[in-house]
Amino acid sequence: MTLERLGFETLFSYRSGGILTVEALESILFLAPSLQTDDFLMNKEILRMIQSSIGRKWIVAVTGVLMIGFVVVHMTGNLQMFAGTPDKINGYAHLLKSYPLVLWSFRLGLLATAALHIWGTISLARENRIAKPVGYAVAGRKSRLQVTLTSVTMVISGIILLGFIIFHLLHFTAQVVDRSYASMETVVGGVTMPDVYRMVVTGFSKPWISLFYVVAMALLFSHLRHGAASVWQTFGLRDRNSAQFIEMGSWILATVLFLGFSSIPVAVLLGVLKL
Amino acid sequence: MKLHLRVWRQQSRQSEGSFVTYEADGLTPNMSFLEMLDVVNDRLTKEGQEPIAFEHDCREGICGSCAMAINGEPHGPNAGATTCQVYLRSFRDGQTLTVEPWRAKAFPVIKDLVADRSAFDRIIQSGGFVSVGTGQAPDANAIPIGKGIAEKAFDAAHCIGCGACVAACRNSSAMLFVAAKVSHLGLLPQGQTERKQRVQKMVAAMDAEGFGNCSNQYACEAVCPKEISVEMIARMNRDYAGAVVDQI
Ligand code: HEM
Ligand code: SF4
Ligand code: FES
Repeated sequence: MTLERLGFETLFSYRSGGILTVEALESILFLAPSLQTDDFLMNKEILRMIQSSIGRKWIVAVTGVLMIGFVVVHMTGNLQMFAGTPDKINGYAHLLKSYPLVLWSFRLGLLATAALHIWGTISLARENRIAKPVGYAVAGRKSRLQVTLTSVTMVISGIILLGFIIFHLLHFTAQVVDRSYASMETVVGGVTMPDVYRMVVTGFSKPWISLFYVVAMALLFSHLRHGAASVWQTFGLRDRNSAQFIEMGSWILATVLFLGFSSIPVAVLLGVLKL
Repeated sequence: MKLHLRVWRQQSRQSEGSFVTYEADGLTPNMSFLEMLDVVNDRLTKEGQEPIAFEHDCREGICGSCAMAINGEPHGPNAGATTCQVYLRSFRDGQTLTVEPWRAKAFPVIKDLVADRSAFDRIIQSGGFVSVGTGQAPDANAIPIGKGIAEKAFDAAHCIGCGACVAACRNSSAMLFVAAKVSHLGLLPQGQTERKQRVQKMVAAMDAEGFGNCSNQYACEAVCPKEISVEMIARMNRDYAGAVVDQI
């Protein structure tokens, strides 16, 4: 597939020897005899276990939950757009940016989290494709095999989300999509700060941008409908009794996030949020 | 009763297979699926053709050898039944049925409907046992085991190693099988000593055989003739994390 042509093959393969493998660590070990202690060998076993199928599933689930935590907080913060006064969200954004050390720790942490999530999922998905080289000539009934749209589209919804995240960062964080955002300023309580409210309303006034955001949030819905239910199983917390609540919970979480995030571009287009 | 069959025929591991069409006639609704294949094979033999190779042994749903997919569903259309326990009354007169071997990289087809499932044996050899001193059989109730634990362990022990879970899984993951084996022994007092190594070794063996990874879609549970619950997989995920923590 295209991923392989992009050179992802070597980066993400674990069983067939890529960059992030135990074998790579072994070569470091070979170069540095001082590291060949019992302690280190034991750690190597842990590393091997973490890179196993279940180990990587845990990584995907833990990083997934961290990102869910982030999006919940992010959405709650964004909803301050509806506070009635632009000062609310502007003050909040200003507060977040006034501790650069904290801000950058968070940003780097999130970056590492996303990178681990993507490494885990792509390497797992790649092995899955190899493990089922031929399917059945006649597909079994979807209802019988419990095929759900959200679960079979995890890779594609994830990749489009990644594209969205990059666009989103270029749009509102790096402000390269529209250079005029950088000059938007306001004064709250005598302090001059970026006018985030104006930036968001200006940004979402373009229907294609709003549409793209809503579509991306629909994909987030899809990804988390399956993902948020999946993590319970990966953590070993799902059983016959809790299963129905877990499935219901993932529907609720995914729906709340979709509605919460989408409400802002929709409100701008409807003229509910205006300058 | 009549059925139109499209059966996968493949001479050997190396050769390319293809579907061959057979008309199965003179059937009755009370025949089992395997008896229907016997009827077809009788005819083929008499006509001097090679009969369809398929695995079977007990024909009563306990050995797990009658592995085949009927219309893309491992063990056919019924819940909680192996192929040998599927009766022709489950199908319509004149229905077309496509019969295929298990499809998974780790289960290469040997001939026709027979796939090599020895990967499962190697997983068992890696840790699916308890090491005990042999000798006289111990007293039946020498080790008290709570009813709940005994039931759960027994639920897991039902697994007959048929491989339908792998066959149904989009990723050919063997998690349900391995989880059943890990849990069966891991729940009982006799299995505690080796519990941590067991889960670690069996998962390593599973990965080495080229099975895929679970993506939590539970097709395995839906087709499992012994209705092993995916709860076992959750248990194994937890057990495995425990084994990692133990290393630290
Ligand atoms: C950025 C690109 C992303 C990609 C490529 C991606 C891809 C995937 C894939 C392929 C899975 C495996 C699903 C399965 O087979 O069960 C997965 C699971 C998951 N993802 Fe993502 N994802 C991305 C972003 C996100 C984001 C932004 C979040 C959180 C808001 C997230 C949360 C989750 C969760 C919770 C799971 C379930 C873990 C489990 O199966 O136990 N992902 N992701
Ligand atoms: S878990 Fe079920 S489907 Fe899988 S091998 Fe055991 S009995 Fe067969
Ligand atoms: S032949 Fe033994 S389970 Fe079907």
